[in-house]
Amino acid sequence: MSDPVKPVLDTVVTSGAVHFYISQSDKGELVMGGDLDFCNSYSQRGNLPVIEHVVSACLALFPSFGRLKVMRTWGGVCDMTMDGSPIIGMLPVKGLTMTGGWCYGGFKATPASGWLHAYTIARGEPHPKNAAFTLERFARGQTIDEKGVGPVPWAH
Amino acid sequence: MLLIPCPWCGPRAQVEFTYGGDATVKRPAPDAPIAAWVEFVYMRDNPAGPHDELWQHSAGCRQWFRVRRDTRTHEIQGSERPDAALPGDAP
Repeated sequence: MSDPVKPVLDTVVTSGAVHFYISQSDKGELVMGGDLDFCNSYSQRGNLPVIEHVVSACLALFPSFGRLKVMRTWGGVCDMTMDGSPIIGMLPVKGLTMTGGWCYGGFKATPASGWLHAYTIARGEPHPKNAAFTLERFARGQTIDEKGVGPVPWAH
Repeated sequence: MLLIPCPWCGPRAQVEFTYGGDATVKRPAPDAPIAAWVEFVYMRDNPAGPHDELWQHSAGCRQWFRVRRDTRTHEIQGSERPDAALPGDAP
C-alpha cells in the first residue's frame, strides 16, 4: 500500500508474467499484491523478499510510481493446492460440497466460482465448467496444472 | 526475511535458499499400491506449529538439509544434515 496520491490508475492491472496486481483505492493509495512466501506459514505478516519482488514488479510495469513510498504491508494465508487450481464440487461425503484451494486467484474469480458452486449445490452435480475441478483429480492423475510445473504448491 | 542456519555455512539470509517442503515424507517401495503413491505425491500435513522441512542452500554450498521451523512465528528451532537428528527427534 503506497501513500495516497491523486487519481493515476482507473482500473485493476494484473500480470501473470510477474505475479503482480495493482489498483488505486478511493483514498488514493495504490494497493499492490504479489507472490507467495513459498514455504508453509501461518504468520500472516508478510516477508521482505516478497515485498521487494512486488515493488520490483510494480516499477517494471509503472516506472512513474518510483517516487511513491510504501506505507504499510500485510500478508495472509493462501490455501494452495498441489496443482495450483481450486477444488469446486461434490465431496465424498453425501450432500457436502466445497469451493476452496483458490491459491491467490480467489478475489478475481469469486463471482464466477460462486455461480458454479451454487449450480453444483442446486443440481447435485457440477456444471461442465467446474466438472474437472474435483477433489479426486489428484488420485486419478487428472490434475489441472496450468503451467506444468509439478505437484508442489510453491511452484504455482 | 528468515535467517536460516545452514549446517555447513552458518546463518545466511533466506534469499540464498530454496524451499523443499515436508522433510518427513518417505518414498514408497516401487511396487507399493497406487494409494501409497498418491499419498506420497499429493498429500501433506500443514501443521500450525513446528514443521520439519527441507531447504537447499542453492546460492551457497548447494547442500540439502533439514530445518525445524514454527509456521506460526517463523522461529527456527534447529537445523541439521539430512542424516542427523534434530533436537527432540525420536531416537
